[in-house]
Formats: sequence, C-alpha cells, structure tokens
Amino acid sequence: MFESRISRPLAITVSCLSVLVALLVWQILATQGLLGQNFPGSFKTLKELAWWLSDPFFYNGPNDLGIGTNLLISLRRVLIGYCLAVLVAVPLGLFVGISQIAQSSVNPFVQLLKPVSPLAWLPIGLFVFRDSEITGIFVIFISSIWPTLINTAFGVTSINQDFLKVSRSLGASQFRTVVKVVLPAVMPNILAGMRISMGTAWLVIVAAEMLLGSGIGYFIWNEWNNLSLPNIFVAIIVIGFAGLVLDQIFGLLQRRFDYQD
Amino acid sequence: MTSLAVPTTPTHPLGQRWPDAQVSVEGVSKVFSPEPGLFDFLTHRRPTGYVALQDVSLSIEKNTFVSIIGPSGCGKSTLLNLLAGLDRPSVGQILVDGQRVRGPGPDRGIIFQNYALMPWLTALGNVEYAVQTACSGLSGGQAKERAREYLALVGLERAMHRFPKQLSGGMKQRVAIARALSISPSILLMDEPFGALDALTRSYLQEEVLRIWEDHRVTVVLITHSIEEALLLSDQIVLMSRGPAATIADVINLPSLRPRQRSVIDQHPEFLAIKLRLEEHLLKETRAVEERT
Repeated sequence: MFESRISRPLAITVSCLSVLVALLVWQILATQGLLGQNFPGSFKTLKELAWWLSDPFFYNGPNDLGIGTNLLISLRRVLIGYCLAVLVAVPLGLFVGISQIAQSSVNPFVQLLKPVSPLAWLPIGLFVFRDSEITGIFVIFISSIWPTLINTAFGVTSINQDFLKVSRSLGASQFRTVVKVVLPAVMPNILAGMRISMGTAWLVIVAAEMLLGSGIGYFIWNEWNNLSLPNIFVAIIVIGFAGLVLDQIFGLLQRRFDYQD
Repeated sequence: MTSLAVPTTPTHPLGQRWPDAQVSVEGVSKVFSPEPGLFDFLTHRRPTGYVALQDVSLSIEKNTFVSIIGPSGCGKSTLLNLLAGLDRPSVGQILVDGQRVRGPGPDRGIIFQNYALMPWLTALGNVEYAVQTACSGLSGGQAKERAREYLALVGLERAMHRFPKQLSGGMKQRVAIARALSISPSILLMDEPFGALDALTRSYLQEEVLRIWEDHRVTVVLITHSIEEALLLSDQIVLMSRGPAATIADVINLPSLRPRQRSVIDQHPEFLAIKLRLEEHLLKETRAVEERT
C-alpha cells in the first residue's frame, strides 16, 4: 500500500524542489494579478528578505528596528515566560501525578483554563502589571504552563509500577524515590510537554505583540499599517524558521532522553 | 467473583508456631475490595470483595529454597507481595525473623518477572542505586565497588556499563539478581523470574541461580508454575489450590540432594513420584479453573 522508503538525498532533493515549485507558482499567481493588485511575488519577497538579513540588528527608533532585533525581543519574552512556566509546571505536575488530593484540587483550574486563549489574559495582565513587557511574559507563562503540567502529571500516573516497587522495597524515602526514580522515568513526558508548550508560546507571542508594541509580532502589525506585504512575508518566514529551530532543539533533547527498553 | 466468609482470628494448622522459622505466615487472608461507588453509597451496600487468599499458614526455615507452585490466578503473586510488604494481609499476620511485616524493607530482596531495571541507568547504575539506597553508610566509591562485585558474581563484569536496552533478557534478569543480592537480604523473593525468558536461557539461569545460591545461602521464596523448575531448585514445594479463596493444598519436602542435576531429577524415584503428584494436582486444579462457567 505504501511505497518503500526513499533515500535521504532523494528526500532532501524532493523537499527543495517542492519549495521551488511553490515559489514559482506564487510568483506566477502574483504577476498575473490573481491575488489582488500589488500583491508581492516570491522574487520581490526574497529580495526583501535578503535585504533584512543583510543587516538584521539595527535600531532607528521604536518603529524601525532590524528583523533580528525584533526577533531577539520576542525570543527574550518567550524564554523568560516559558522558563518560569516550566519551573512551576514540572514540580506541580509531579505533585498532581503523585497525590490524588493535589489532582482533585488542581483539576478544575486545568480543565477550565486550558481551553481559554492566553490572549484573553492580556487585559488582566495590563491592569495588574501596568507594563507591556511583563504582560507579554505573563501571557507566555499562562500559555506555556498547561501542556507541560498535563504531560508531567500523565507521565507520573503511567509510570511502570515495578520501578516504584523496587524503590520501596529497598527502603528508599519518598523524596529519594521522586528524585531518583519518578523524575527520570517521566523525563520523556516532561520533554514532550515542554515541546508542545514551546510551540504554543511561539504561536501566542506573535499575536500578543501586535497588541503590546514591540517584537516580531508588532513588526507585522507595523508593516500592515505601512501596507508593506513583502515585509510581512519576511516576518512570517523568519518566525517560521525560529519556531523550527526551537522545535528541533527539543527534538534533540527528546532523542537524548528516549530510553525505551 | 465470590464472596466468602473470612475468619476473623488466625488459625494455625498445627496449633503452634515453628520455633526456628524465619518466615511465618499465620492465618493470612487477602480480600481485594473495590472502591464503593456512588450507587453502593446510596444503597448502603458494601461492594463484594474478591477473596484472593484464604487462611494461608506457612513456615519457612532459614536458608531454605522454597517454591510456591499453583495454577494461574491462585494468588501466588499476592502471597509474594504480602511477604515483600508491598501489600498488607486483610486478616492474619506475617512474621519475618520474629518481626511483624509492616512494609517493604531491604532485608527482603525482590526479583520481578519483567526485570524492573530502570532504563535510564546502566547495569552498574541499577545495582549502585540499590546499594546506595539500602546501605546509606557506604561512601560512593564503596557502593560502586560493591555493585561491581555483585555484577561479577552473576558474570556481567564486562557488560556493566551497558544500558538495559543493550542487554538480552537473560542478562537483564542477571542484573536484577545482582541488584537483589547486593543489599545482602536475608530473604530473596522471586516472582516467576524466568517466565519471560526462552527455554534455553531459562535453563541456563536456573543453573546460575543454583550456583549462586550454593555460595550465597539465603532464604529463597520462588513463585513459579513450572514443575521442573521447582524440582530442580527447591528444598520444599508449597502447592496452592486454585483461586478464588486460594490456600495451601500441600507442602512437599524434597530429598536433600545437593548439588542437584537435571538428569538426576528425571531418574530419581522419589523425585519422579513427587513430579507425578504435582502434575496430577496442577492438572486437576487447572481443569477446574478452565472449565468453570
């Protein structure tokens, strides 16, 4: 039913060709005016991209920053909010997985708040913190916490009971069992959760920054006001690549901690 | 699921305690009761429990090798969990070295059917974790040295830096044996330790266990459903009846013939008689289990 596996060079060649074809189709559609008047083609967009990348880090006032500078602003917010979320979510997740009482007390909040778009928290953040920077970090914190929390707790409840029996039979304390057995055992689940959290955070930051006034999301909003579609495409490509790199870092980490026997 | 009356006071078949027994199981019953649901709560009903073991009494002498054999689902593993202290009897008590078992402890080493090696630790790391946990007085270096020693005992000194996924089933179980012995337990509890291995590896490991046991005498309680295994290894075979409400049907003492060879077991008249007796009992019990409607 499925064709046999293809070699890696062939796979890469096909991927490159596919991108080239898409760029070409885009160019043709744009020059034919099928996407509306003055819609930028792929050639123009790539030229713009090359220009932005030739000098990525400049600062000519708050509304004229290099794409790299904007990216770093966004990355900084994401990393701070995300790290805070992980620091809360992993211990809390372990606790929720271990204790039924903790699970019962945390569960209503998880169930109720998980489906809410983190952007809904933006006004609350602005009211409480009166600072767009902290509010951005706060929104990322809220958006990153759930996947890591849920995956960690799930990992704990699905842990191989024999490991716990072994540890108990050796007379290990609760604390030692959690640190030496539970934590390494759920590491793959924690990393899977952290990977999803990072993906969510990176999605949310763009939208949040349109309302906050700096960073790569604000860049898009700004270029929309300038009606500069090529620059918006440049931002989309840069955001995509940054997300790809972040995701791959977790891919590597997951491979490192994948110890299924 | 049947519900049977459980005696509230332990009874002893011989009416006395064996004075030199290391392990004594005294009138132990185990009932698994399900959590009462909302319906049970509203109707003031107590959910019916499953009686796994009923009135089990057993005495094990120091440094003997005891096999517990019975049809599947007869509560063998339940009994082992009770001995290990991982679970508590509903009725009765278990004494080890005169002390009532209240929980698991490093005086009892456990070997599981599925090895239960932690996959993020090497063979050495797994044994080291046990030594460090159970013998907190040792320094890091001493613990490592001891772990090496026991891996050498099971013939794995060259594979000690490998992770469990890089080891064969037999090697994994040898690591588990090293781990269980490394904390110098006075009792070794083995829950169908060779059940997941192929026939050849199983034979090899049985001989290994015999060899190690000859050098390191400890009390061993082995759960098995293999008659050959029980005959090859044990001093005493505890025969269990089928569940629910399983209990001890018979205790058979084997001729003290050590070291024991497979070929001897096949020819020795006493062993043959015991083998027939075991086969007859297990077949009868298994038939009853399988034909139950």
